[in-house]
Amino acid sequence: MMSTGGSRRHRHARLQAILAVAAIATAVALPVVLISVGGGVSSHELADLQDAGYQVVVSAAGLHGIANAHSLEEQILTIGSVAAASPVLSVAIDAFPGGGGASPVLAEGVIPGEFGPTLGPAESGLFPLPLPLGDPTDRAHYDHGTYAGPATYDVLVSSPFAQAFHVGTGDTLALGPTSNSSDSVVYDVTGTFGVPPTALGPTGAFAVILPLSDLQVMTGYANETSAPVTDAADTLEVAVVPSATTQPGVISSVRNQIQALVPYYGVSSLSQEAQQLEAASAVLTGFYLALSSVGLSVGLVFLALVLVRRVESERRSIGIRRAIGQPGRSIAFAVITDGVVLAASGAAVGVLTGFLMVEALATWGTSTVQEAAQLAVFVPVTLAELAAGIIVLSLLAGGWASRTALRIDLAEALR
Amino acid sequence: MNASRAPALELVGVERTYAAGEADEVRALRGVDLTVAPGEFVSLEGPSGCGKTTLLNLIGLLDAPSTGEIRWDGRSVGSRTDRERSRLRLEGVGFIFQRFYLLPSLTARENVELPMRALGIARAQRQRRASELLSEVGLGGRERAYPHQLSGGEEQRVAVARSLANRPGLLLADEPTGELDRVNTEGILALLEQVRRERDATLLLVTHNPSVARRARRHLALEDGRIVSDVREA
Repeated sequence: MMSTGGSRRHRHARLQAILAVAAIATAVALPVVLISVGGGVSSHELADLQDAGYQVVVSAAGLHGIANAHSLEEQILTIGSVAAASPVLSVAIDAFPGGGGASPVLAEGVIPGEFGPTLGPAESGLFPLPLPLGDPTDRAHYDHGTYAGPATYDVLVSSPFAQAFHVGTGDTLALGPTSNSSDSVVYDVTGTFGVPPTALGPTGAFAVILPLSDLQVMTGYANETSAPVTDAADTLEVAVVPSATTQPGVISSVRNQIQALVPYYGVSSLSQEAQQLEAASAVLTGFYLALSSVGLSVGLVFLALVLVRRVESERRSIGIRRAIGQPGRSIAFAVITDGVVLAASGAAVGVLTGFLMVEALATWGTSTVQEAAQLAVFVPVTLAELAAGIIVLSLLAGGWASRTALRIDLAEALR
Repeated sequence: MNASRAPALELVGVERTYAAGEADEVRALRGVDLTVAPGEFVSLEGPSGCGKTTLLNLIGLLDAPSTGEIRWDGRSVGSRTDRERSRLRLEGVGFIFQRFYLLPSLTARENVELPMRALGIARAQRQRRASELLSEVGLGGRERAYPHQLSGGEEQRVAVARSLANRPGLLLADEPTGELDRVNTEGILALLEQVRRERDATLLLVTHNPSVARRARRHLALEDGRIVSDVREA
């Protein structure tokens, strides 16, 4: 009859195998989640860049770091092949819907006539074009930097904001730089716009768009002596004429000419940004893999120990097989196969667990996590590479164990 | 015995030394010379620790001599590589151990198939031959039984069948009846004699039981690593 010790040994071996599979699965699930979610977010951002209606973007160090945005826009428009140059200033301000309490909103100041042409196909459907914000050039109020001209006091509000506060076209809305309503100015709501989906973070659901000069004056980023820069903007997006959008040489030339105008600002083409994003994504993927390799190493050391333990507990059986004449390589092959089967099982369970974890995050995570998890992309090639890497490493673990098996002293094992 | 054939087994000045501690060493065998003709039935007797199993392990290529030469059928085999020794064992030797050493996870037939499997014999052929061998040793109906379902005598019969699987010329039995009762001992010895006779195999049997040793035609006695007596019956 099979001894109790024998069946206990079998149960023990089974438990060890399960633990080894679980350790590898855990180590695999982590990179699966990180790489799939990280890759998905990067792909989404990349798609956003590729769908953008502009090809070159000017940015500056620091918050609202671009100075003299109106005059820079004028200079850029003189460059050949440039169709539009849209400075954008983004500032958090307060709105006082219905004369009530302050509600924070993200305000974007734009030059109405320049903003539309820099929108991509996906975004342009969200806005009423041309933007109904009065003077399309924003030059009347700006008035050569004096801001003495007549302001239009027109504003567009985002659909979520309009719905939340029952504000619609034809209504008025007080906007101010602080929560103190006495600092606010009353605007006419001339339309609403949809909110584009964002890759990460809280969406700018409560947003308003108003003429750049209006926002600059309201927030002190016009020609105030206290402001760090005058006529400020955060970015300036440049669209080339349609015939040049597919000509990298023309876009590069435009970028170089703008850079010559503002050598102290960052000027990059979207293709450069896309490359940078791809490079950053690759670095992140490498980082995730490196991070996961710690867990993976632990899992594989555990696997190696399990295999060596199995060999030790099968000393006699191996001794018998070898005494009969079974070649060492066939015993080594059996041990390595054992390791590969365990590692492959762990990898398969890990990939499945990672997939289920992403699904769970997309369903039950916080809003930000949900949004990121919903963008997750499972690239079969990456998953296959990960699994292949684990199997290759399991060969090392199996090799170590098979070396132990082949070093068993036959005479001693059969004693 | 055929005088024109090379000896089935020759040992010339075989010694086996084991390290025991930093300076000490144990000389398990001291200059053993031995010649065994094909088809001979030889018993190897001696007290515990005299080197019987060591000698059997060297003859069966489970171990390598420290010095000296071992020849099978005139071929030097003692200093071959591990791989070559495996192959020689597989094709040339049948082992029968005191504790049977069947693999507990395999059925009787699968245990008998094991050497044939290692030799690469096709499944159907090895299954057929394993069944034949089990019938020969009187276990025709027990092919699917696992070792834990067999008696000690039956287990040793399976071990004998396994040792014959690849038609070896040399059978090495290390205390094959050591764990059996009298009836089963008789049965196994009769079986070993029968297969030796029918297959013209050389049988070397290690025992410290005089009544078992008496079944052989030649009796070797080992003491302190040396052959001290070599008696052939007429």
